[in-house]
Amino acid sequence: MNRVGSAIKIMFSWSQTIFSRVREWCGDAAYERYLRSNARRQSGNRALSAKEFYAEQIDRRYSQPNRCC
Amino acid sequence: MKRVLGTLVWTAVAVAGAGALGAIALHRGEPLNATWFVVASVCCYFVAYRFYSAFIAARVLVLDDTRATPAERHEDGRDFVPTNKWVLFGHHFAAIAGPGPLIGPTLAAQFGYLPGTLWLIAGAALAGCVQDFVILFCSIRRDGRTLGGMAREEVSARGGLIAQVAVLAIMVILLAVVALVIVNALKASPWGTFTLAMTIPIALLVGVYLRFLRPGRVLEASLLGVALVMFAVVAGQWVAASPTWARAFTFSGVSLAFVIIAYGFAAAVLPVWLLLAPRDYLSAFIKTGAILSLAAGILLVRPQVLMPPLTRFIDGSGPVFAGKIFPFCFITIACGAISGFHSLISSGTTPKMILREGQSRLIGYGAMLLESFVGVMAMVAACAMPPGVYFAINSPAGVVGGTPEAAAATISSWGYSLDAQTMARLAHAVGEQTLLNRAGGAPSLAVGMAQIFSNTIGGERLLSIWYHFAIMFEALFILTVLDAGTRVGRFMVQELGGRIWKPLGRRAWTPGIVMASALIVGAWGYFLYQGVVDPLGGINSLWPLFGIANQLLAAVAMVVATTILLKMKRFRWMWTTLLPMALLVAVTMTASYQKIFDANPNLGFLSKARQLQGLVAAGQIPASKLAETQRLIFNQRLDAVVTAVLAVMILMLLVEALMQWYAILSGQREAELHEAPYVATRWATGFSPGVAHGDD
Repeated sequence: MNRVGSAIKIMFSWSQTIFSRVREWCGDAAYERYLRSNARRQSGNRALSAKEFYAEQIDRRYSQPNRCC
Repeated sequence: MKRVLGTLVWTAVAVAGAGALGAIALHRGEPLNATWFVVASVCCYFVAYRFYSAFIAARVLVLDDTRATPAERHEDGRDFVPTNKWVLFGHHFAAIAGPGPLIGPTLAAQFGYLPGTLWLIAGAALAGCVQDFVILFCSIRRDGRTLGGMAREEVSARGGLIAQVAVLAIMVILLAVVALVIVNALKASPWGTFTLAMTIPIALLVGVYLRFLRPGRVLEASLLGVALVMFAVVAGQWVAASPTWARAFTFSGVSLAFVIIAYGFAAAVLPVWLLLAPRDYLSAFIKTGAILSLAAGILLVRPQVLMPPLTRFIDGSGPVFAGKIFPFCFITIACGAISGFHSLISSGTTPKMILREGQSRLIGYGAMLLESFVGVMAMVAACAMPPGVYFAINSPAGVVGGTPEAAAATISSWGYSLDAQTMARLAHAVGEQTLLNRAGGAPSLAVGMAQIFSNTIGGERLLSIWYHFAIMFEALFILTVLDAGTRVGRFMVQELGGRIWKPLGRRAWTPGIVMASALIVGAWGYFLYQGVVDPLGGINSLWPLFGIANQLLAAVAMVVATTILLKMKRFRWMWTTLLPMALLVAVTMTASYQKIFDANPNLGFLSKARQLQGLVAAGQIPASKLAETQRLIFNQRLDAVVTAVLAVMILMLLVEALMQWYAILSGQREAELHEAPYVATRWATGFSPGVAHGDD
């Protein structure tokens, strides 16, 4: 029973890791990461709202070549 | 013991790879199974990654994991963001993998499967991956500087300007050629046109959801969008079956070209959150899913490759595009082997997000190997259909004739048997009115993919759904390239134009936005229109032009890389970038010369113009076609001028670099590197961004 329990725990932990990596890959976790950023916290500036951050982030991203042929 | 085991395993991988490559190269007679392609490419990639990339990392670049990367030194949570290496690998791969590695190999299949496959594998391992890896490293050492910035600092101011002009030239030609691929795939196809048209309101819906309803929740919004797109693919068959709706979504090539030009203008002018970003999210998910499914499908189905290793068109008389294997195979397959455009990504966002210098090997070299594998999969998909069908789909009407009977007779006379009924049956099976004369690579790749997918799931019954899924997948990310490229092109025009007239340089000034967008859309729109009305299909002229422009940028990247290696005093290892650079220069210069001056009117722009001029002078052109012919003559001359300008830029850059190298080697000039100063990392070995920021 213990073995089954620990196997389920490991699988659950893997699923969590994969899910969090997919969220990071597609940009879903970008705002959370921004809020956690040390540099932002140390700057003392007001944190952008989720709406402001999203608008600013995509505007910057699509101002340079970011999709190849 | 471990060492002996390692040696044995790597020897086995190398022998398996060499054996499979030998089978591909020497096999004649019966069709070859696609498994050989998978074994050959994967074994070669493993060996290249394990040994060649390790050699470059350790000896040539001397990567230093104790050195803080830009992501650590400038971390701001916006641009400079420390990112897990596998997440960044996914980011980088999604950015470099566009339609190129799918379309290029499909077009190059006209030479047979062998030249393209060998170039894909060898070109990636020895040139493309090296370019991406070295440029990524150089950019990391320079705080994430762009290729243009590095060219300006390390080579010369003129080198930077050449890089900037090359990027703009590539943008214009790239956007025209990918738009032409869409036009050729969707003309007279109500199902495909409806599906792609539906992606616009779906993207708008996702855009509004992400901006106002659930800001930044990309995963849920994209999944919703992907589900709607899939429904649109299925619903397309009902549209095609309804006479009224089918008529509404049936367009000629010229009409489609104008629709796409208008769409490109709207995408460049509209706010980025409304259309561009949501389409990119949808495209990234569908692209990743479709590429993985194609690889899995090929492994499961293991189709027979029906195309011969070499076709009769290695003599340069190909119907898809004219020209011999050298240089045109190397021009046609750029992405998948080596693509200059990748150097913009390697010196764009990726260097600002990498945790350690050591990870640039996996991300720079490894992601390009994966892209090369995508190219090999596309080659297999294209070559798995009977050669007669392949040539019927990809040859323009001006070469094989516009009717099924004429096409079947011409193609059969080349030795690739085809009857008119085969094409009619295939078109009916995939839900199209016709598959003839669809130059551009997308429809033939879609047929190949649909056959592989339907052999895995659904059989013949789902062939039409899979075909339109594949068309939607290709068209969706081509439109993403179109949207993003037009917007970036707009910024470049504003930046260059702002030097002449300041207000144009202001990014938020509406008249400036409209003018710059109109200029960039007008430029690629002109080439698109020219391709659509070209009796030889347009791809024949535009794809080589795009290949030359792309390889020009790769040459710029290799010049920058070689100059930096020279300044780092790595004289012994300069051949790692110098040899690919020499190949690129030889390829682009030969291709440029042949495209401009070759006496064969199907190949040389000027001889084609002379031929048409001769017909006009001899009164052999009817009065109703006179204006059109004059326009064709002008277009051929314009293409010759564009090619010449690109070739001259390569020569100028080379002279610039050679002078710089001579001055350094002869001691006339001090080798001044513009690296950021060394700062030791504060991150412990095994640092993970998630752990450091307390979210685990």
